Amino acid sequence: MPLFGKSQKSPAELVRSLKDAVTALERGDKKAEKAQEDVSKNLVLIKNMLYGTSDAEPQTDIIVAQLAQELYNTNLLLLLIQNLNRIDFEGKKDVAQVFNNVLRRQIGTRSPTVEYICTKPEILFTLMSGYEHQEIASNCGTMLRECARYEALAKIMLYSDDFYNFFRYVEVSTFDIASDAFSTFKELLTRHKMLCAEFLEANYDKVFSHYQRLLNSENYVTRRQSLKLLGELLLDRHNFSIMTRYITNPDNLKLMMNMLKEKSRNIQFEAFHVFKVFVANPNKPKPILDILLRNQDKLVDFLTKFHTDRSEDEQFNDEKAYLIKQIKELKPVEH
Amino acid sequence: MDPRMCRKISSSESLPDADNVEYEISNITAPQESEDNFLIEGSPEPNSVTWLDDDQIDELDLNLDQTNLFFHRVDSADIIYRSKKKKCKMVGKYVMGDVLGEGSYGKVKEMLDSESLCRRAVKILKKRKLRRIPNGEQNVQREIQLLRILRHKNVIELVDVMYNDEKQKMYLVMEFCVGVLQDMLESSPGKKFPQRQAHDYFTQLLDGLEYLHGQGVVHKDIKPGNLLLTLDQTLKITDFGVAEALDMFSPEDTCYTGQGSPAFQPPEIANGAEQFSGTKVDIWSSGVTLYNMTTGRYPFEGDNVYRLLEAIGRGEPAPPPSSLGPALGALLSHMLKRDPSLRPTVQEIRRHAWVQATPPLESGERMVMPRSRRSDELHSSTVIPYLVERHYASAQEYFTEHDLRHDMGEGGSRTLSTAELSDGESTRQKRRWNSSCGRLPSCRLT
Repeated sequence: MPLFGKSQKSPAELVRSLKDAVTALERGDKKAEKAQEDVSKNLVLIKNMLYGTSDAEPQTDIIVAQLAQELYNTNLLLLLIQNLNRIDFEGKKDVAQVFNNVLRRQIGTRSPTVEYICTKPEILFTLMSGYEHQEIASNCGTMLRECARYEALAKIMLYSDDFYNFFRYVEVSTFDIASDAFSTFKELLTRHKMLCAEFLEANYDKVFSHYQRLLNSENYVTRRQSLKLLGELLLDRHNFSIMTRYITNPDNLKLMMNMLKEKSRNIQFEAFHVFKVFVANPNKPKPILDILLRNQDKLVDFLTKFHTDRSEDEQFNDEKAYLIKQIKELKPVEH
Repeated sequence: MDPRMCRKISSSESLPDADNVEYEISNITAPQESEDNFLIEGSPEPNSVTWLDDDQIDELDLNLDQTNLFFHRVDSADIIYRSKKKKCKMVGKYVMGDVLGEGSYGKVKEMLDSESLCRRAVKILKKRKLRRIPNGEQNVQREIQLLRILRHKNVIELVDVMYNDEKQKMYLVMEFCVGVLQDMLESSPGKKFPQRQAHDYFTQLLDGLEYLHGQGVVHKDIKPGNLLLTLDQTLKITDFGVAEALDMFSPEDTCYTGQGSPAFQPPEIANGAEQFSGTKVDIWSSGVTLYNMTTGRYPFEGDNVYRLLEAIGRGEPAPPPSSLGPALGALLSHMLKRDPSLRPTVQEIRRHAWVQATPPLESGERMVMPRSRRSDELHSSTVIPYLVERHYASAQEYFTEHDLRHDMGEGGSRTLSTAELSDGESTRQKRRWNSSCGRLPSCRLT
């Protein structure tokens, strides 16, 4: 407790005055400037309660529990996120820190904030739409990735219509927003293996038709990142049925063969790791086999000359040699 | 790394054999103990200690040799061995340090990458020894092959592989770790960890295992002896000698051979099943590992391997002690189900109450820390002395006991003990301290 000045506010008082300040800020009248100041001040006080400062320890569990309870009761978290663009630079960061700390709170096996957000999914959707606004995108990204660590919250996001907005966000022209969005996107698709596999299986057509657009993107970074992620997804055994489905579609094979010939060596290399799955598949469906047979000689020739300078990479060379052998030995199915 | 380069460098120098290095370590620790004796016995009567310089000591030795051998009794702790100097040895671009551990295949030593200055560990495999281990050479090849593809925070990273055909040695350069869970367990009270600590390691084990299974790799030998820790307490799964890569296009995870350590084998392998689910083997072994980490015991015991496998084959584990609490007890029983299909998946284990909640550190419980071979809690690099020798070696051909004391004792403890000595002694002591310190690069600069 400070030696001079007024004694510390209780969590309830703090939350109330922050809420009043944010509401005033939202109205945006003459008092906006004062409200801005109040918001920042109260955010710092709440943050210090949770994290402590250089000369004060974080508050006791009871105080933190009261604070969390007040935040739920007043729906302040949602209000803060909705008005994030109106809050000043430091304040935005404080909101993210407060949010993430409260989110991580555990009582035994329970995570009360996760349970709260499950009942208020608008919080997640508002956060996701944060990628539409440059000035708050990275703050929202930080909070979203923290949410994505919890299976229940990841599930809400994956199965929402808003998830498909990510296919747009990862391609925006501002590089840092696009890459922030991509890391959230990747987290959602890879973090919880079983959840992700079920999601991809249930929404295979919709997801992969969107994904196709990323692979054909004008944007080099998008093309390369999405191709790399595709390889990771297909080669993860948890996604076994998705992989087997993907490699039976001749259009996917054609796309990979075209990407093998891309100008960028990095894209060629990533494409190789998807292409190899089509070839290695012991039960190639006829359309796939037909394409490979039609291009048999060309492929052997192409692969023989493919990235020959990677002599250090034994794994790659073994795989390449294996593919060449497989393609050479391909024979049409007899009827 | 070009293996030829490695061969050239190592053959051009006359190198101390690995055994000599071992010898040196034991030499150096002995005087350190004697220093303690000295402080206890010497401090009450500091004036009784007479300090001689090297020449005088030599003279004294000579005199004693010539005059009276009978009274010249030297306590073993006081013996100054004429130790071999720490000779700096390079393998490829790596500077060798001391031994970290030993296995049936050879030694593990610390190394320093002279280009990136990263600390590394190297597993030195001797062909001669490998041939004596059943499937030894095959297992190493498989391990290298698997580790090359795997990349995860909780899986040991293989940084480099070098061969020395002349010496018939193979060097597997890996991430540097400070300890093995097995050793830590053995050094801890009750041979177990506080639940809080076991929880930390177990959740990391789950992350690593989920990744491995995602990559189609079944480890088949999960046990505390194959779990390492880095300086920042990150767990690393190691030893992929008996691991198996699953067929990418087979929906099943069927494996046909089990070669892991008996105490951690599941009933299906103990009963000699011809094929079994691979991932469920790892789940079982992780269960035994968790059981062992939290109780200090094993769910199955037997006087010998046959009895042990017989007990495992019956599949009735010793019930987890009730002191573990109901949550952990239930998790262990679930993971140690005799029927593999009833065992949980990694994802199901993650959702289990005991995994979800981080157990608090009970009063009286203390976290167990990795212990280094040299009882150096800071785990400082063992490569530095070799580098100092290489670049700042003095002309002195031998070390006296004093030098050794100074070299061993680091700043703080040294000044404390000199303060206890009388004035005359302490100046002499200080002078010595400075002169021996001058051999260290940092001191020379000032």
